[in-house]
Amino acid sequence: MTAGEALQIDSITKTFGSGVGQVEAIASFSLDVEAGEFLSIVGPSGCGKSTLLQIVAGLMPPTSGRVLLGGRDVTGEPAHMVYLFQQYAKSLLPWMTVEANVGFGFEHRGKFTPEQARVRCREYLDMVGLGDVAHRYPWQLSGGMQQRVAIARALSAQPRVLLLDEPFSSVDALTRLELHALILELWEKQQFTAILVTHDVDEAVFLADRVAMLTQRPATLFGVMETELPRPRRPVETNELPRFLEVRHRLLGHLLAKGTGTHDGP
Amino acid sequence: MTVRNRVLTLLPGIAFIVFAVGLLEFATRSAAINPAAVPPPSAALETFAALVWSGQVWKPLVQTFLLLAAGYGIGCVAGTLFGIFMGTFRAVYDLFEPLTELLRPIPKPALLPALMLFLGLGATMKITIVALAAFFPVLINTVQGARSVDPVMSDMARTFGHSRAAIVWKIVFPATAPYIASGMRVSLGLSLVVVVVAEMLASTGGIGAAMLDSQQMFHVRETYGWLIVLALLGLALSGGFNWLERRIVFWIAPSST
Amino acid sequence: MLVVALLLAWEISARSGLVRSANWPPFSAVVVALVRGIANGELVAVVGSSLWRMLQGYVLGSAIGIAVGIALAMVRPVRYTLLPAIELLRPIPITAVIPPLIFVLGLEDRLKIFCIAFSVFFPIALNTMAGVASVDPIYEQVAKTFGVPSPAMLRRVIIPAAMPMIFAGLRTGVAIALIVTVISEMIAGQQGIGYYLMSMEFAMRATDMYAVIILLTLVAYAINRGFVAWEAQIIRWARTRDFAGT
Repeated sequence: MTAGEALQIDSITKTFGSGVGQVEAIASFSLDVEAGEFLSIVGPSGCGKSTLLQIVAGLMPPTSGRVLLGGRDVTGEPAHMVYLFQQYAKSLLPWMTVEANVGFGFEHRGKFTPEQARVRCREYLDMVGLGDVAHRYPWQLSGGMQQRVAIARALSAQPRVLLLDEPFSSVDALTRLELHALILELWEKQQFTAILVTHDVDEAVFLADRVAMLTQRPATLFGVMETELPRPRRPVETNELPRFLEVRHRLLGHLLAKGTGTHDGP
Repeated sequence: MTVRNRVLTLLPGIAFIVFAVGLLEFATRSAAINPAAVPPPSAALETFAALVWSGQVWKPLVQTFLLLAAGYGIGCVAGTLFGIFMGTFRAVYDLFEPLTELLRPIPKPALLPALMLFLGLGATMKITIVALAAFFPVLINTVQGARSVDPVMSDMARTFGHSRAAIVWKIVFPATAPYIASGMRVSLGLSLVVVVVAEMLASTGGIGAAMLDSQQMFHVRETYGWLIVLALLGLALSGGFNWLERRIVFWIAPSST
Repeated sequence: MLVVALLLAWEISARSGLVRSANWPPFSAVVVALVRGIANGELVAVVGSSLWRMLQGYVLGSAIGIAVGIALAMVRPVRYTLLPAIELLRPIPITAVIPPLIFVLGLEDRLKIFCIAFSVFFPIALNTMAGVASVDPIYEQVAKTFGVPSPAMLRRVIIPAAMPMIFAGLRTGVAIALIVTVISEMIAGQQGIGYYLMSMEFAMRATDMYAVIILLTLVAYAINRGFVAWEAQIIRWARTRDFAGT
């Protein structure tokens, strides 16, 4: 169990294409993420949140700028940073069992005997409450269960930073609440740094220590807000706290003004 | 892709072909490869040219082509019509499916000797075998296409008062067109193969007979010359098919592979 | 069933003299010839030798086809260099290639195995190429995020993901292999089904010819069925791909 690391995102820009048809997705984004914190990033649809996250994860190169993990430059496929896909169902390999999928998360990061691998898979599957479906195939499970397998897989790699790309947007409301609780529980236990991208303001505020706001494309950092909410978060009580409503109000106002930056600052 | 880019991407491929042919030419001329078995490409081309200039090529070519066209046409039309019926009407499908499933895997050339006993060695036999060969791929693909027509589309047409027959004509047929095209593409290659085999076995004219003749008389260069004729025929048919397909089934991408 | 009805019609038409010809023996006579041929091993040897040749050619052609297909999809210089040549060779009818090849490879098994492999290569290589090219990019991203090195990525992710299309090519290949086997034996044969059929035609022994055709039908049907079952087993997951969440 390794503690989370700090991230410095430094002047990231991203432009797609060239010449006349080019699209500037990210104008300039800089942010320091503290070790072990839970950060949410919200912004209007299509503003480039996922792109930003993929750049931070090292899955996509920025046009300029850099990302530093614990002081080291992030290039290619960094170890210790795991990206949780929005389309979790498609991200699970359908020709492998659940257990094999979880194993896939860490097998290539070190030497494991088959026995060791199996033990570790079981450990993480139990953590997400899926110990008994290890031998099923992903397509035999419900959406919520698939997402939990993806989470188990991500955590089995024991990342120092976990990047979540709208991971709960395609599950139903009740399942989402369960998954929120699960993620927070795992985060508190494993103490990784978490960066969550979402368009759901309630979710962003509920989970995070800080919330960063993006403007519309080309995206820039509009501002960052501390949630200042007590932990552990509780699904009903936390959402009724005055501070929660205040933060939510500010964020929604920003989003509804389409993040053009003409609104009052945070 | 711009024209310039298009040409640039083709360059390595063309270079490779030129290189391969050149290598073969060198190998056969220097006897690294026995020229009695494989003549130099230039010699084969010469022979091919001779076949064309002397007019020898035309009669067999026309004969082969006509037989091919007739058999292919009949097979495709029959396959399409029957396929649409089978694909649209459940009862028809259930009745004929065991039979087609049984007949489909048979390599149609295996039926040639039987047909030769029955129908002799003439045009009828050849057209029949080609039609048989062309029929099945078209049938199978058409059935698949007709069966996969979204029932929502047919239901929609029904609610607007179209008759069963009109639905088949206006919805099933166009929706199935890409599948039919795909089947016809497979049939084309198969038909060409089958017509040449039929000619080789029957020895009653056509390119196949001419080529086998050359081979049996050990006229090596001439045999390869006929190979070039057939290669060009195959390429022409394939290219022609692509061109036609692009015109007609323009709303779906080409059906290659 | 229709098939039974047709067979009955065949039997009746032959026996009742409706179709009067030496080339239209009753179905029962054909069955007798078939059973006799199997019992004394003759037909088994004929079909067996053909299948053996076919298997060799098929395995050779598939192995090369899959390897080349993967290379074509993943290595751009290879694709640009080889694909035009492949597309150029593909429409050439295999029957045109056989007589010239007789000069090179003679009339033995080598010739047929080569022709089978050659014919089978094209659909398999092209289907493999299409399959690998159309692997959902998300799988590669998953592999990257978990630090999977390239060779393992190919083996554990790309090839399994491309399996459905690879199998489509392999399935086409089986049908082609059977056809080319028979054709090559007919034109340049000394053994096997094609040669046997031609001998029977020459000797006008219709009954024996039909017996072999029936046997061939059954064998071809069995191969087809077997292949489909094997395919379903390997890519069970592909059918249920559109499960929740996609």
